[in-house]
Amino acid sequence: MAVVEVADEAKVDPSAKQKPKVNKQFRDRNQIMLARLGWRFTTPALVIVGAITIFPVVFSIVLSLSNVNITGNGFQLQGFTFSNYSLLIHSSEWRYSLGFTVFYTFVSVFIEVVLGTAFAVLMERLSKGRGPMMALLLLPWSIITVISAELWQYVYQGTYGVLQYLINSVGFGKPVILGTPTPAIIAMMAADIWKTTPFVSVIVLAGLVMLPSDVFEAASVDGCTPWQSFWKITFPLLRPTLSIAVLFRILQAFGVFDLPFVLTSGGPGTSTTSLAILGYKVMFDNLQFGPGSAVAVSATLLVLIGCLAFLRAFRTQVNGGDL
Amino acid sequence: MATIEMSNMKKRYPNGADVIRDVSLSIAEGEFMVLVGPSGCGKTTLLRMIAGLEDITGGDLMIGDRRVNDVSPKDRDIAMVFQNYALYPHMSVRDNIGFALKLRKTDDGEIKRKVEEAAELLGLTPYLDTKPRQLSGGQRQRVAMGRAIVREPSVFLMDEPLSNLDAKLRVKMRSEILKIQRRLGVATVYVTHDQTEAMTMGDRVAVLSKGDILQCDTPQNLYDHPVDQFVASFIGSPSINMYSAQLSEGAKFLNIGGESVELTDVAHISHPSLASYANSRITVGIRPEDLELVDKGTPNSITATVELVEALGSELLVHFNTDAKAVVVEGVKDEEETILEASGAGVARIEPRASVKAGDIIGLRPNPAVMHFFDVNTELAIY
Repeated sequence: MAVVEVADEAKVDPSAKQKPKVNKQFRDRNQIMLARLGWRFTTPALVIVGAITIFPVVFSIVLSLSNVNITGNGFQLQGFTFSNYSLLIHSSEWRYSLGFTVFYTFVSVFIEVVLGTAFAVLMERLSKGRGPMMALLLLPWSIITVISAELWQYVYQGTYGVLQYLINSVGFGKPVILGTPTPAIIAMMAADIWKTTPFVSVIVLAGLVMLPSDVFEAASVDGCTPWQSFWKITFPLLRPTLSIAVLFRILQAFGVFDLPFVLTSGGPGTSTTSLAILGYKVMFDNLQFGPGSAVAVSATLLVLIGCLAFLRAFRTQVNGGDL
Repeated sequence: MATIEMSNMKKRYPNGADVIRDVSLSIAEGEFMVLVGPSGCGKTTLLRMIAGLEDITGGDLMIGDRRVNDVSPKDRDIAMVFQNYALYPHMSVRDNIGFALKLRKTDDGEIKRKVEEAAELLGLTPYLDTKPRQLSGGQRQRVAMGRAIVREPSVFLMDEPLSNLDAKLRVKMRSEILKIQRRLGVATVYVTHDQTEAMTMGDRVAVLSKGDILQCDTPQNLYDHPVDQFVASFIGSPSINMYSAQLSEGAKFLNIGGESVELTDVAHISHPSLASYANSRITVGIRPEDLELVDKGTPNSITATVELVEALGSELLVHFNTDAKAVVVEGVKDEEETILEASGAGVARIEPRASVKAGDIIGLRPNPAVMHFFDVNTELAIY
């Protein structure tokens, strides 16, 4: 990357034209050597990335486009086909999963960004104790999802769950939280929001402390109330930061797997089956490798398209170009 | 338009530091008041207290006939220009200038008219739809001015608005700001650490040091009649030469270093109290332009060795060394400058075509009529 940048700079540099030819040749040779050196340094990393990232991705695509036949010795690829994808599009399970994943992503990311920003604004106003508060806030984020999902399981569980006990003790009966579709979805989102709001907070807080303080003073002299100051100054200036937080969260939330896997295994029925859970079930429970890969590839493609669209819409913000 | 009246204003930080000790100052309608002082003297804090960006610990602040100690900045009817301009980076020049009007729910047509009027005045019309980051420092500064004037406030506050500009632009903006202020006739408080800026712009200049106003007067009076050593050495560039001296034969002669200068009647008439310092030690201050180049050994002159000559075209600045013991006022200048001027050093401003070069031994004759005298202990001026 650095090598490319050096070359670009040399191209735009207007003084470069006036330099003698010998010098230019020397510089070109130097750059070629630098480029070679760059390749030599990055090759080991590229090989590892290729082996553990690019190969599985490519192999998934190949699987999703093949007739996969299970045999006693593993599986065989028997020719190219689109049938795996047409199976998906016509399957109500896939469509439900897609709808659920999109809904889950939008709602939980929206709530996380709102809450996370609110926490960040509060934390920024703390004159002291910001460090310990931050550590406390980061606790949920630092717990591995599988563990935190297990912890939430204790809260939601039917026989000894805390939440059910509390609801019962205020006289609302004993709802079956994880066993009823809507409560299960809400419960799962609550667990996700609990865990990832701190992540958004930390990113937004980092953005907040970077904002120039005199601009806010100018706004207060100009007549802004604190509320106006937030919406007319803080929010627009935070947009690059918020965009990055949203992008990260969309990527993570769209691929959500561990939380529903531990909490509900995608149930009750298929009500909390995200695309990742569906792909896993099709592939490893039903051993349908072709359709399973198609689910994975479709999920990847969709989130990729979503992110690219988001980046396009918010490009200036993400680049900080608006500042 | 309004007056500003500060009486016994104080600012103490929670850690007990007194930033503003006891400041009383009144600023008339349409007056251009400059607060000047070295860094850390409290001038910016005082300005921010007027703006409402800092709490006032004690005393009263009146804008017009309203006590505004506890009024929020937005309700003080002030406009402020910040050192780093503090433009809203996400808004166009037009929106930056019109923001305050928009917040007041001014009619859109009215905003447009006022913004364009201000842009015209400041030469910003071609840039109305650009963002601040695309503008040069000088243009940003003008946008900040535009933002202030479009509101037609009763008070302008400016916090070193020119300090980020290069020297040439600074001189130009100085007169532009003055012109605008004269035209609008709004009471203005202008903070700077640059005494040249203070002298050229202020109707009156308040010199601050360590949270107190030492003297507030017209620029010429500050220059001619400083109240103490600090003001004398802060105002004027190059700054005043100050030496430890001894009055002899009553107060007839002044011994500076090994030399003796006769104090004429003029000096005594303009400084009647000098008589009470007969035969005692005082500090004498001589402005660089009040030293006349003479041959060495001329009566009433100081012998000096030329260290460096700076030719400015219209004048020569002769840096010299003498036997006299220089008096350095603490806190006026940076450390480096103080080192340069240690022990006996001084500057004389003489006519440009005199033949002086480094290493020459010359005589410098001070003009007793315009000398400044200070009490050694109190550092106050003797008049």
